[in-house]
Amino acid sequence: MADVRASRQLAESRPIKKVVVLGANGTMGYQSGALFAAAGAQTTFLARTRDKARQGRDGAGRAVRSSALTKLIDVGCYSEDLPQAVAQADLIFEAVAENFEIKHEMLELIDRHRRPDSIVATVSSGLSITDLAKSRSESFARNFLGLHFFNPPQVIVGTELIAGQATDPALVDFIDAYSTHKLGRLMVRTANTPGFAGNRIGFKVLNEVCQLAEEYGPLVIDKVVGRYTGRALAPLATVDLVGWDVHQAICDNIYDKVKDEAIETYRMPDYMRRLIAAGTLGTKSGKGFFMRNKGEPLRVLDIKSGEYKDARSIEVPKLPFAEQIIFLNSIGAYKRAMEVFTTAEGKWANLARKVIGGYISYALCRVGEVTESVIGVDSIMAAGFNWAPPSALVEAIGVKSTVKILEDNKLTVPPLLERALKNGTERFFDEPRLSLGKYFVAKS
Amino acid sequence: MSKNRVYILGGYQTDFARNWTKEGKHFLAMMRESVRGALHACALDPQDIEAAHVGNFAAELYCKQGHLGAFFVEVDPVFRGLPTSRHEAACASGSIALLAGSAEIEAGRYDLVAVCGIEAMKTVGSKEGGDYLGTAAWYELEARGVDFPFPKLFGQLGDEYDKRYGLKAEHLDAISVVNYANAKLNPYAQTRTWYMSKDHACAKGDDNPAVGGRIHLTDCSQVTDGAATVFLASERYATAYARTRGIKLSSLPYIKGWGHSTASIRFADKIEQSKGQEYVLPTVRKTITDAFRRAKMNDVTELSGIETHDCFTTSEYMAIDHFGITKPGESYKAIEEGWIEIGGKMPINPSGGLIGAGHPVGATGVRQVLDCFKQVTGTAGDYQVEGARNFATLNIGGSGTTSVTFIVGT
Repeated sequence: MADVRASRQLAESRPIKKVVVLGANGTMGYQSGALFAAAGAQTTFLARTRDKARQGRDGAGRAVRSSALTKLIDVGCYSEDLPQAVAQADLIFEAVAENFEIKHEMLELIDRHRRPDSIVATVSSGLSITDLAKSRSESFARNFLGLHFFNPPQVIVGTELIAGQATDPALVDFIDAYSTHKLGRLMVRTANTPGFAGNRIGFKVLNEVCQLAEEYGPLVIDKVVGRYTGRALAPLATVDLVGWDVHQAICDNIYDKVKDEAIETYRMPDYMRRLIAAGTLGTKSGKGFFMRNKGEPLRVLDIKSGEYKDARSIEVPKLPFAEQIIFLNSIGAYKRAMEVFTTAEGKWANLARKVIGGYISYALCRVGEVTESVIGVDSIMAAGFNWAPPSALVEAIGVKSTVKILEDNKLTVPPLLERALKNGTERFFDEPRLSLGKYFVAKS
Repeated sequence: MSKNRVYILGGYQTDFARNWTKEGKHFLAMMRESVRGALHACALDPQDIEAAHVGNFAAELYCKQGHLGAFFVEVDPVFRGLPTSRHEAACASGSIALLAGSAEIEAGRYDLVAVCGIEAMKTVGSKEGGDYLGTAAWYELEARGVDFPFPKLFGQLGDEYDKRYGLKAEHLDAISVVNYANAKLNPYAQTRTWYMSKDHACAKGDDNPAVGGRIHLTDCSQVTDGAATVFLASERYATAYARTRGIKLSSLPYIKGWGHSTASIRFADKIEQSKGQEYVLPTVRKTITDAFRRAKMNDVTELSGIETHDCFTTSEYMAIDHFGITKPGESYKAIEEGWIEIGGKMPINPSGGLIGAGHPVGATGVRQVLDCFKQVTGTAGDYQVEGARNFATLNIGGSGTTSVTFIVGT
């Protein structure tokens, strides 16, 4: 209670009356902008043209299903309105394209016009906050941080908060409290490492299944590592939704900058590079691993030929263990479901355990590197990715069985698990803020 | 009140924002999470439970499954052989289950009873669901062939207030805004991430369409999947429970008073019968005064707050004067003065209520009592009413037909 009160007071300690959103025509820009406006801030949406900013404002209204919200939002364009809007803002929210040069240029412009006491937040999904603040003024660097909402922020509350080297720690505390209480976020502080916490862990799994798709085909992979393994959406369908180009940017950035025990799972498959160059960008381009057209049967990418085949013509293995897990999840018997997962035999069960074991191993090995504690990693995977948090899986599988899965698959056993095994820890996970059962999905 | 006190040890509610159909789940998963969560919250041994009561309105319709008492046994193998039953009184089903459980404790039959309220509603679309809810009214006479019958019935409640005392839309809008604002403080509330503002509630149009007379979308409670479980205990069990936890028995809340009455099922009959009376729904008033009398309380001023049945803004408007917070017909005064807000003179629905926290029909009565428990034990987190000692519920089934009040305090 005392903590809540102190945090609430901190959120009130600094009025955020005016917010300016740059890149307000983009999905992330206008949806995040809607959050600030909903919190009562007078918000200005800026884009290259006023028309684009207006489109963003309409999008914000649609996102919260209220035209009343749009009354709190002004619109403008960079060339005419940026200097004044930025100068008046208490908080400047930069959501331009995820590209270092473009962001760098925009931040330079902001630095020129902002008040020395205003806050600058960027919504980058993995670029270095410290690097973005380089060659900026000292006051800018002190007041600059990363605020990474996940798409769509109206639904997904997990949010990463990243300080750069020069960021004022008091500002980080304030934004944490402000975002929690005023924007309704579940905040996770992460290190300024490539991909931060969520994407670093999540895209490891996503890219690994892209690699596996080459051998087994997308339809089979999305079934073997389907929703029943603890996610709201099957992984390749997720990559389609995220966009292959975005997937590439995130994976390449991490592969270039990081050295860890599983970095080879981050090497993006060549077939994806080839197809991206030919315009395959996932859902937004109409085709990715899957092609879904209204009224037509689902079509699936044949990776070798690059053609799309009717899903009904593709042979998919029956997975009796998965069906059993789905039934057990459907009646809330999550531990029994995980027992089936642990003990199921055969090639497909082995493959599923390899991927999920890889996720648990990789995520828990990152504790201390990308977040201070395990709860940070768990929170962002649950509230940011809508995936079963790694600790919840360990809790349901059991520490001993988890370690066995990792050893069987030659995966690194994280120090956290080694300790739990040594101490005979029974309860591995206990986080009341996350509604755990939700992640044990009863769907294929 | 009989001399055998009924203690409340605590409980657990599921996250009302969840869509269990989307998760592919049977309501048993919901029941299991709620009961197991409650066992965990109270650190209780499931072996100790001697009887279980399930409150549920319409699983036969929403899930094509009856016999919900039997599903309690499926929650844990140790429950095999337990006496269980299911109770139904439309939106007051949860409270009726609580009344049955508390009667068993009072009678000295059992020392520890579990009460679980549950409803899965997202199994069907809104129109079909609206039709099912119509069975809480006199279906043949009031609901057959009517789209969304309940908003219309509670719109008529507003019309009756308007006729007798005058009623302004702005006061109903304010009720909605307060509930949504409170829900933002409640980590289990369905609408905690939704956008709401005074402007939005007042805007009547495409974003906020009329659904039944003066009732607009923002006046309505939600269609919700959810379950809530609480444990009721005898003094003997509560004494041992307190001792093993190193707490005082006097720190455990108990049911200080209750009221329960049923009016004519047809809304028009209720209004006809209350003609010329101060209270628009006199049986609801009787339920509340019965609870005060049994709790040996003079009036509402002895309460620290209320969790009421705001299935629509008009029902909360009715609750304000029926509790006696204002004189009959003057509910607007409590709204204008900010009395009903957290921090006000008589906070109503600090949880967000049915509008903000959600309304899984059969679970609501249990959820309300669980929230009272949280308030009087100082464990309501962000939506805590400072120094709460006594909290009351008002749970209503149908158009003001079955009404139940519990007063919970330490």
